[in-house]
Amino acid sequence: MMRNPKLLLAIPAIALIFVFMILPITNIFEMSFRTPGQSEPFGDDYTMMHYDRILGDAYYWGVLGRSLLTAGVVTLLCLIVSYPIAWHMSKAKGLKAVFLYACIASPLMTGVLVRNFGWMIAAALNGPLNETLMALGLIERPLRMLFTQGLVILALVHVFVPFMVLPINNALRNISPTLIEAASSMGATRREVFRDIILPLSFPGIYPGMILVYVLAVAAYVTPALLGGQMVSYMPTLIIGELTGTFQWPFGSALAIVLSLSTILVVGVFTALTARLMEWSKA
Amino acid sequence: MATVEVRDLRKRYQDFLALDGVSLRAESGQLVTLLGPSGCGKSTTLRCLAGFLEANGGEITVDGESILGVPANRRGFGVVFQNYALFPHMTVAENIGYGLKIQKLPKAEIDTRVHDAMKLVRLDGLATRLPREISGGQQQRVALARALVLKPKLLLDEPLANLDARLRDEVRWLIRDLQQQSGITAFYVTHDQSEAMAMSNMVAVMKAGRVAQFATPREIYQKPTERYVADFTGEANFITCSSVTPLAEGRYAITAAGATLELNGVPGITGPAELLLRPEALALTTPEAGTFQGTVSKSAFLGAALRFEITLADGSVLKLTPEPNHPVEAGQKVGIAIDQSHAWLMPEVAP
Ligand SMILES: Nc1ncnc2c1ncn2[C@@H]1O[C@H](COP(=O)(O)OP(=O)(O)O)[C@@H](O)[C@H]1O
Ligand SMILES: [Mg+2]
Repeated sequence: MMRNPKLLLAIPAIALIFVFMILPITNIFEMSFRTPGQSEPFGDDYTMMHYDRILGDAYYWGVLGRSLLTAGVVTLLCLIVSYPIAWHMSKAKGLKAVFLYACIASPLMTGVLVRNFGWMIAAALNGPLNETLMALGLIERPLRMLFTQGLVILALVHVFVPFMVLPINNALRNISPTLIEAASSMGATRREVFRDIILPLSFPGIYPGMILVYVLAVAAYVTPALLGGQMVSYMPTLIIGELTGTFQWPFGSALAIVLSLSTILVVGVFTALTARLMEWSKA
Repeated sequence: MATVEVRDLRKRYQDFLALDGVSLRAESGQLVTLLGPSGCGKSTTLRCLAGFLEANGGEITVDGESILGVPANRRGFGVVFQNYALFPHMTVAENIGYGLKIQKLPKAEIDTRVHDAMKLVRLDGLATRLPREISGGQQQRVALARALVLKPKLLLDEPLANLDARLRDEVRWLIRDLQQQSGITAFYVTHDQSEAMAMSNMVAVMKAGRVAQFATPREIYQKPTERYVADFTGEANFITCSSVTPLAEGRYAITAAGATLELNGVPGITGPAELLLRPEALALTTPEAGTFQGTVSKSAFLGAALRFEITLADGSVLKLTPEPNHPVEAGQKVGIAIDQSHAWLMPEVAP
């Protein structure tokens, strides 16, 4: 080990990852095979019953599907909202760029509870959102927005936009302006330049942005719990319910493992589908 | 084909005047070189031609029609950039065929034309490689083929700057051959005078946003209008004249460094003047036979030639490169014979 000083430098990071990632995950994985406990969170024996229960119950499939799908919608909306913002940011210089960075990061500067209570107020029946819409004559009666899936999606998009904007902005900044000039000198219109040059070459930013937002959205707990209400369940709310509500640690752990593996599967399929694009677009 | 004319072009970056009245003309099928030191406005001129920059004044015409209002994608200039600007996510063939694809030509025709273009620049067999999988010289040729395949007018911005010396020579001739074969009108930017001399029909020597002289390579070299041009186009000796008498239009009698000569020069010189002597117009001889007499102050053996510096009586220094076996040493008194048809008189300040 002493022969390789780089490895020596990596020890703190490896230790950190081991203690705070490998150990807990191994622990959860083991927990998911435990028998349920009587007067304690888990029993002494091992069983497959939790996985059987989850996979055999359409309810859990439904919640899992909703979680994965909602995260997908959040990711796509984030991409659509973020791309033009990233485009403007990549053109900005000096003070304007600093100002834009601050604006983009602003959703992250409020705590998660405060931000979600803010949404609860904003989306209330007599809240500013409804009042504005009514004042504009767009709706006649207040809309029930609170405790809907739509509001959960809106709030998640809001907070995850920075994670999409920053990598795309970075990728766009790395596209040499002469490539755009070259394409237009060859007859390409602005649309064609965007389709053939800018969009594919910004993929190295789109990819990490989408993965980040997707993973964060799948795992989001506070926002769905506060803004989604009791009617719609997501995996994280179920998991937390099992772990801290009914104290079924093994079952909660099994749910967590199922969610993690599903997320890894989705990310893996996405990565495989876009591997060629990624390979080609790295300059 | 196309005649391209630039008249009194002006371009300002914020408060910096980068082009201050540039005028040029490329007849159909000609290669016109913009030659000048870094920062004199060569790229800016080219980018105005291509339509990447909007000029602040002046006119650009193609076959007599203004193109200032035409966007870059409809100007029909193929551009070869110094850094090649190949699309990193497209193969060599896709790069070359991109302009044809934009024109929505049938796939079979695109394939044929790309294939032909690749053969022309000797890139056979590299069609499916990505730009980062080929060498710098090959990338350069892809850039060239990509610009040529549309058979447009060509703009080349220091296309050889990133190549090593051997490749530079090869690609230089390739560019010249292709341009002449296809009769394409081209503007070529370089800061290398030998490149400019070898390739061009016309050379524009640029100086701080202006064209100092626009003429054939021979004229630029032998009959420069000012010292800046003479300096930039090759090795030059200058001797200040002590008297100048006009004989006829562009013909003068002068005395310089103790000698009296009759020679041609820039027409209309009235003030102080300088005698331009290129090293190859000078030959060593005995002190009695020489037009000028002086002392060898430095001598060096360069292999193919010698290199001497000779200090004349009035203190001016002449550089010359006689053949290698000349038996002369530092400190020796020598005479210098000049080929009067290669001597040239210029005003000390540009007229
Ligand atoms: N975008 C720009 N903004 C401000 N000044 C510029 C810009 N581009 C070029 N210049 C200036 O204009 C002058 C001419 O530049 P350029 O045409 O690139 O010169 P060359 O190609 O002859 O080296 C230089 O002094 C350069 O610093
Ligand atoms: Mg330049």
